[in-house]
Amino acid sequence: MVEKQRGAMRLAACDPAALALGLSGGMALADARARVPELAVFDHDPAADLDLLGWIADGCERYSPACMIDPPQGLLIDITGCTYHFGDDGVRLAKDLKQRLRRHGLTGQIALGATPDSARAKARYAKQAIHALPVEALDAGDKVHQALRRAGLKTLQDLACRPRKAFAARFGKATVVTLARLLEEEDARITPRRHVPVVSVTQNFAEPISRTHDVLDTIATLTGKAAAQLNDGSQGGRRFEVSLFRSDGHIARLAVDTGAPTRDSALLMRLIRERIDALSDPLDPGFGYDLIQLTVPTADILLPSQAGLDTKVDRSAQTEALIDRLSVRLGRDRVRYFEERNSHIPERAVVECAAQSGQPQKDWPKPAEAEPPMRPFRLFETPQRVEALASIPDGPPRQFRWRKSLHHIVAYEGPERIAAEWWRRKAGHEQGKGGPTRDYYRVEDSEGRRFWLFRHGLYSETDAPIWYLHGLFA
Amino acid sequence: MTQDAVYAELVAATNYSFLRGASHPADMVLQAAALGLSAIGIADRNSVAGVVRAWVAVKKAKAENVLPPAFRLVTGSRLVFADGTPDIVAYPKNRKGWGRLTRLLTVGNMRSNKGGCILRFDDLAGYLEDLLLIILPQSTAEETNPHKNPVEYSHADGGEKLRLVEATPADLDEVMLRLKKLAPDRVWLGICMHGRGKDRRRLEEQRAVAKQCDVPILAVNDALYADVTARPLHDVLTAIRLGVSVDQAGTRLEANAERYLKSPAEMTRLFARAPEAIAESQKFLNQIAFDLSQLKYEYPNEPVPGGWAPQDWLEHLVRSEAERRHPDGLPPKWVRALDEEFTLVRQKNYACYFLTVHDIVHFARSQDPPILCQGRGSAANSVICYLLGITSVDPVANNLLFSRFLSEERDEPPDIDVDFEHERREEVMQYVYRRFKRHRAGIAATVIHYRPRSTVREVGKAIGLTEDVTARLAGTVWGSFGRDLPEARLIEAGFDPDNPHIARLHVFVGQLLDFPRHLSQHVGGYVLTENRLDETVPIHNGAMADRTFIEWDKDDIDALNLLKVDILALGMLTCIRKSFEMLRQTGGGDYSLDSVPTEDPAVYAMLQNGDSIGTFQVESRAQINMLPRLKPKTFYDLVIQIAIVRPGPIEGDMVHPYLRRRNGEEKVEYPSPAPPHDPNELHDILYRTCGVPLFQEQAMKLAMVAAAFTPDEANGLRRAMATFRNSGTMPEYKDKMINGMVQRGYQQDFAERCYKQIEGFGSYGFPESHAQAFAHLVYISSWLKCHHPAIFTAALLNSQPMGFYAPAQLVQDARNHQVDVRAIDVNFSAWDNEIEASALRLGLRQIGGFHKDWAVAIAAARPFTSLEELARKAKLPARALHLLADADALRSLNLDRRAGGWEARRTPSDELPLFAAADARELAQEPEIALPVMPVSEHVAADYQMTRMSLKGHPMEFLRDMFAAEGILTCAQTDAAKHGARVKTAGAVLTRQRPGKGNAIFITIEDETGVTNALLWSRLFERQRRAVMASRLMVIEGEVQRSKEGVVHLMATHITDRSHELERLSHDHDVNVPFSRSDEFAQPVYPRHGHPRDVRLLPKSRDFH
Repeated sequence: MVEKQRGAMRLAACDPAALALGLSGGMALADARARVPELAVFDHDPAADLDLLGWIADGCERYSPACMIDPPQGLLIDITGCTYHFGDDGVRLAKDLKQRLRRHGLTGQIALGATPDSARAKARYAKQAIHALPVEALDAGDKVHQALRRAGLKTLQDLACRPRKAFAARFGKATVVTLARLLEEEDARITPRRHVPVVSVTQNFAEPISRTHDVLDTIATLTGKAAAQLNDGSQGGRRFEVSLFRSDGHIARLAVDTGAPTRDSALLMRLIRERIDALSDPLDPGFGYDLIQLTVPTADILLPSQAGLDTKVDRSAQTEALIDRLSVRLGRDRVRYFEERNSHIPERAVVECAAQSGQPQKDWPKPAEAEPPMRPFRLFETPQRVEALASIPDGPPRQFRWRKSLHHIVAYEGPERIAAEWWRRKAGHEQGKGGPTRDYYRVEDSEGRRFWLFRHGLYSETDAPIWYLHGLFA
Repeated sequence: MTQDAVYAELVAATNYSFLRGASHPADMVLQAAALGLSAIGIADRNSVAGVVRAWVAVKKAKAENVLPPAFRLVTGSRLVFADGTPDIVAYPKNRKGWGRLTRLLTVGNMRSNKGGCILRFDDLAGYLEDLLLIILPQSTAEETNPHKNPVEYSHADGGEKLRLVEATPADLDEVMLRLKKLAPDRVWLGICMHGRGKDRRRLEEQRAVAKQCDVPILAVNDALYADVTARPLHDVLTAIRLGVSVDQAGTRLEANAERYLKSPAEMTRLFARAPEAIAESQKFLNQIAFDLSQLKYEYPNEPVPGGWAPQDWLEHLVRSEAERRHPDGLPPKWVRALDEEFTLVRQKNYACYFLTVHDIVHFARSQDPPILCQGRGSAANSVICYLLGITSVDPVANNLLFSRFLSEERDEPPDIDVDFEHERREEVMQYVYRRFKRHRAGIAATVIHYRPRSTVREVGKAIGLTEDVTARLAGTVWGSFGRDLPEARLIEAGFDPDNPHIARLHVFVGQLLDFPRHLSQHVGGYVLTENRLDETVPIHNGAMADRTFIEWDKDDIDALNLLKVDILALGMLTCIRKSFEMLRQTGGGDYSLDSVPTEDPAVYAMLQNGDSIGTFQVESRAQINMLPRLKPKTFYDLVIQIAIVRPGPIEGDMVHPYLRRRNGEEKVEYPSPAPPHDPNELHDILYRTCGVPLFQEQAMKLAMVAAAFTPDEANGLRRAMATFRNSGTMPEYKDKMINGMVQRGYQQDFAERCYKQIEGFGSYGFPESHAQAFAHLVYISSWLKCHHPAIFTAALLNSQPMGFYAPAQLVQDARNHQVDVRAIDVNFSAWDNEIEASALRLGLRQIGGFHKDWAVAIAAARPFTSLEELARKAKLPARALHLLADADALRSLNLDRRAGGWEARRTPSDELPLFAAADARELAQEPEIALPVMPVSEHVAADYQMTRMSLKGHPMEFLRDMFAAEGILTCAQTDAAKHGARVKTAGAVLTRQRPGKGNAIFITIEDETGVTNALLWSRLFERQRRAVMASRLMVIEGEVQRSKEGVVHLMATHITDRSHELERLSHDHDVNVPFSRSDEFAQPVYPRHGHPRDVRLLPKSRDFH
């Protein structure tokens, strides 16, 4: 894994094989390459790492609700009072966790400690004896570590047996506090990771429910409750998450996103139903759900709007609702709009994008005043081949035949010469392999119709250029 | 097609419009001529940097009769304005117009940071006399970067008329009307037909507007490249300029390939509806009477006192000095030499040049203390330079060839290079600016070309390769510095050359190499003029403060016959000056460069042992090996010693014949020509080098005497030898030389060998004069090392960075010479390394990151008895205290490194005002904390980390038991081993070098007993690349090879990286045994016969900065 750090590509993480070759994190990629030319590298993706960590944390909620991600690579679980499943034995819990991780192909370093700091330090240094840990376990910054080491104080043992006053005078109180926590003399609680959602409503069942109908009914009730809570705060949700806790510990989560903030429970139910219908694997209730939870993780301000007496419809809101609805039903990628792209080639100048992916482009270039449009109103997706008569080498067309009818050209403007995008062709940089150049003409025929024609290939590129009709002006 | 169409393209850019033009100036003009254009106008963006190259190309092509004689080149510049004014292309009508143009550009350049030019319409209005102006309808300006504190520069010369400030015109009509008023009959509207769709409509519109304003229209193509095939390259350049890849650049690329040079027929066809625009190009051309050859050049007159003519003053100075040196009358040889030189100088009118150099040297010597300086290079062939004190070599006594410096036949200016102390060169440079003023003095430019590494990186990015791929590709270019990216390199790096992306990269890299990338300033070449320099060439701000440089480089200056003085920096001169100073202070005598006792046998005895670390030039690995073989006994042997360890003599296979002859193992013979020629003709040339040509002058003389070359031809041969770009012309000289020699009765076989030897100089040989000048410094530095090793080492350390070796090695060498080296200590050390009762006391400057003003404060506030007192009295910040503690410089306060560091942590730094009054001790006594004792190995490691050396021991000492148990020998044991023995040695890596053709890697390792030199053949290297490149501590296994002079080499077969063993010393301090400065892996140097940028007549030694 490589990452750009301090202006150079550096190794961010190595697999065991690379470590065995003497490579390590922080090394410049160029140096690593020089040593191992056959090195395989991939871009470091910290976001993906964090996602994975989040996924693991989700799973760990089975042990305790108090899980906390300790970036970049750590996970803290407060198991105080949560070990009854394992016979009040933290070690057995740890073994269980380790096994589960291994099943997913993950290697974890697990340690138990009376304080989060001590547990973290033990895990990090893979040692159970806190006194044997190096001073770096203090995590107090390189300068402090260096200073301690320079003074010959290399392990926590060296620190533990010396008067703390001397450390406080040099490295500040915080260091001493950390030391106390590491030595399990002082405790600190962790902040659980799942941040408090804007709205959270739950429904408990004494008897697990398993029929889809019941589930939907419950969700409908919950959305109603949530909508009421949102309304109180003049808020509208942007994301709604339904968590279905199965009695065997499995959690199914469904989420719907909306393009604009909403608290319309009918709309939400429609979206949720569509989402459930669209699931590739239908909901598997197993032995039934014993708890259903609806949370709104993100919300925006949504002021109540007064519908006017003339019931004027908010068009953009309608469009967005339609886009949301169609996108949920047909799939995100199926509802699309146009976006301008940076290319000289007309058919590549504009592309389609998923409508939900962002705001549609609003600032289309405006034509200059008193300038005729240089691009046609209608552009054929595939240019249509025509037979045309033109003077050599690069004269305008005199007449052309399209769909069997002959058009005599009475006026023209051009050529507008657009060269092919050579970089899209395999050997495009070589002479004559960059693709044919197009000469576009705006023409008007004897009946006043206006066309956009092009000659495909200059005479220096080909002997017999072919003509195409690429679009129609109004 | 109309054959009789006459047209001249007047708006053409070259690749000196950086990242916009895609053709070399020469390609542009040759293509223009080939297309039948009547002329071409080269106009780069706010620059005239490329015009000289175009002009040279035309001159050369005309001389070779490949250009129609009527073809013309006109030179100007495309003015791009920062205020929104459309681009205007300006051509000077005459010499005066050229001056206006260059001054206009200078005005813009001076406002901007290096490389930029900020012009406004008003500037043009102030300088448009004698300029012809073509208005282009749009502006191509981009954001500009104004200079924060521009250097003081006088633009005014009193000739300006009072005028109102011209505001920026609002639109095209207004530009035309206003310019028309300012410059009637000198304004055109340039119209292009680039296939934009509405070209015809626009032509009509603009024609109408132009007619209204009574401005003629002119057909131009605004060409960016010579041939239509250059479009992909141009797109790549655009992408590089925009910092994106080609496929993301989209509409910011040109839509089509129409910006190539078009033939008159094609232009006529495009402008069929406006034939007057085509015809106008001829009318425009007819108004231009300017050609670059009109740039007449006058050397500054300042140094001549009133009432004297420059030549007379020069002769007066030289002759009075000659008489002073020869009170009994000049020997006839001198009279002849002086007469010859004076005649030539008078004829060429170079007197002012010599006087100017003399003036600069005189300034340096008159400073207090004087700045040491010495001329180098071919100037040492001149008696005038010798007598003016510019050079220190007596050319008469040494029989040097004056025509190497200056000759009648050769129409090129002489080149005087003077070295100054590297730390004080800036004083000399600022003196030059002061004396001649900024508008009359400028440093020459150096054109930075695209080199393989940068090209691969930039092109790779532009064609969309990811950074790690380009980094890997750029990485593989290490060691190869060819013009091309050889396929073998690609395969080596694991890329398939047939992969389309790689193939594309390969092609573009090939095309882009040698393109100019940007202008930089030359290391020290000044161009000075009597008249305004900015009326000859635009002046730019340099990247360094207070430096201004001109737009033309050395080749351009040569082509235009401008003279330049090289003011170079030499570290050894600084070191020598500091040594002399310390000698004076310690009562060791008062010496100067010429008063050091000569021909001291002790000095030669030392050198014969290869004991030369720290000395000038002969301290390199190769030189140290050569010293015991050559065994220098006299000064002239040093001259040979310097010259022989060069790629030239080595590749020309002259080293062994010379050594054999010198040692009497081979007969010294001088082949003779057939009668009637003088049978001794070669003897006179070659007797001093035992019949083997070692110097450039000898090669020239050999060609002149034995093959009857004219001096001119001999000089051509020299140039061909020196510049690889001309290597294509070497074969011409080959036939001429061999045939010439055979005709005069030499054996074919001998002639071929001679030629081969001369060919070897292609990869640089030394001129004898240069070797003489350098040998002088070799001798002085060796003398200092021999008799005053402590002072010499202190001076070397105080002059860092310079030379081949890191401080640790210099100090180690001094200790080996029984110098008592004392550790850094706050109560004794100053900033500099000093002599303390004949011992060397290391200075605070050796502590990485320490500031000089701290050191000065410490020295002023001494003595101290506690850390607190030190902090208070010297007002040191916390960082300084920590550095002192970490460097273990507090021993005299009874604090070792650990205790010092611990104490420093709680010592308040800079006194707080609140406590300033309270003089009492503020810090309470602390309970004893009893820090663990630091082992010596850790002290050594910490010493290396802080000061890059240790007096307490060598890191290897602490690993010795472990290595000994493995049967690994010390360096000393290896040195004593028998020839042919297979041994293993371990040590810290000092240098790794891959000289010459790269067949072998030289590795030097060091341990507590000394050094071992190992040689690894490159085929073995490839297999052990990782170990060689990563090791800081390596075990080398190999066979001992002992030469008959006793030089021991370890022929390495197997190398193991044991760097991790260093961690055993300390976990907290990186044992960073520094590579010496000559290590090529840590500081890659480009092989010498490489890029045109590096081509100099004299190779750069590692010593010049």
